[in-house]
Amino acid sequence: MSEPATKSPGDTSAESRDIIRVENVHKVFRGAKDHRIVALAGVSEVVARGEVLVLLGQSGSGKSTLLRSLNGLEAVDSGRIVVDGRDVTDRKTDLNALREEVGMVFQNFNLFKHKTALENITLPLEVVRRTSRQEARERAERMLARVGLADWAGSYPSQLSGGQQQRVAIARSLAMEPKVMLFDEVTSALDPETVGGVLRLMEELAGEGMTMVVVTHEIGFAKRAAHRIAFMDQGQVVERGDPQGFFAAPQSERAQQFLEQIL
Amino acid sequence: MLDALQQHMPFLLAGLWMTVQVTLLGICFGTLFGTLVGIARALGPRPAFWILGAYIHLWRGTPFLCQIYIVYFVLPQTGIAWLQFDSFQASVVALTIYSSSYIAEIVRAAINAVPRGQVEGARSVGMTSGQTLRYVIAPQALRMVLPPLGGVYVIMVKVTAVLSVIGTTELVRQANLVIQRDPANIMPIFLVVAGLYFVFCYPMLLLTQWAERRYGGLHLEA
Repeated sequence: MSEPATKSPGDTSAESRDIIRVENVHKVFRGAKDHRIVALAGVSEVVARGEVLVLLGQSGSGKSTLLRSLNGLEAVDSGRIVVDGRDVTDRKTDLNALREEVGMVFQNFNLFKHKTALENITLPLEVVRRTSRQEARERAERMLARVGLADWAGSYPSQLSGGQQQRVAIARSLAMEPKVMLFDEVTSALDPETVGGVLRLMEELAGEGMTMVVVTHEIGFAKRAAHRIAFMDQGQVVERGDPQGFFAAPQSERAQQFLEQIL
Repeated sequence: MLDALQQHMPFLLAGLWMTVQVTLLGICFGTLFGTLVGIARALGPRPAFWILGAYIHLWRGTPFLCQIYIVYFVLPQTGIAWLQFDSFQASVVALTIYSSSYIAEIVRAAINAVPRGQVEGARSVGMTSGQTLRYVIAPQALRMVLPPLGGVYVIMVKVTAVLSVIGTTELVRQANLVIQRDPANIMPIFLVVAGLYFVFCYPMLLLTQWAERRYGGLHLEA
């Protein structure tokens, strides 16, 4: 169960089995008056193709920063991050090309406010992928149907509930046919009654073999969908393991405290 | 009196036409230039922010009358060939600089008011910074820019009255010339002049309101 499905049989080199490699990454946020916040303190992690990795930890433990550094949205100070063979930490890497392959879903949706649900999906297809208008439209309609919002194509984000907006955001990412999906506390800003639909959608994706890195506080989701848990504290992964083992018998003291607080 | 006004009207209308030309050229160049400065201030590197900021505040912090004198009387004394302006060119240059200093700040504020998440959403799907500006930031900023921009345009129309001091034959200058010949009718003449300004300004205000309804406000809440 904990062994993730390997997507490319025949090729078993570490480079192709692992889609994400994070090696000894450091990141410090510098504020005014020498105010320093250490976000990442030498974190290393590997994600295999098809694996669903859930990052847990207190707020401020660095999990969102780690996630955001995977597509270069957050630049790191040192260390190395390689995603699908591209070195994210190398200045010469074309991050835009990388981000076409790496979908990201945010806590606050970040849908384009001046575009309808449909246009939110077609815009990146037309602008980034150079898809024809007709094809982009057809794909966007399929994606909206896929997330159960076929009837809402013409609605603006402000006319949709939080859960609906988040499903559009997921559809926007999926339309780009990414190899990896990153989820940054995607249900934290949602009304409780709309959380379920978003989590079900994510579980479906996981079931279809999508590689996912998920920062969440939804323990139920982590138990059901995660192949592996990485527990972070003070900018490092202090414990990793399969969900059953982690939730039943966490090894580190910090993880024990964390689970006591939230369960 | 009406006979006299009828006789003066061609002169006043010629003045209005000059006012219209100078204003439209000034706000066209001013909008173009101000938008570039505003974008550079909002999205460019730190030094650009400071240098362009100094430029903007210099012009915002000095009277327009003083600026016209500088453009028309002081710059030519530098002896640099392309700083030799006739009164029409000086008027357009001064208006361009003056309006751009306000428009730049309006544009910068509007860009900064587009939530950071919008940019992250665009970048995360692989859009370049140029594509993000064009397809995500600009359309949203445009809606916020329209109301204050309309205000600046109308102020620019009215500030052209000051251009009479360098001999630009705009509306007020023409009115003064007419009054020298016919001082008895000063009141009706200036009533007509005020009316002509209003006839130019009011459609601009209506146009702004229309543009606001067309492009503005909707769907940007929340």
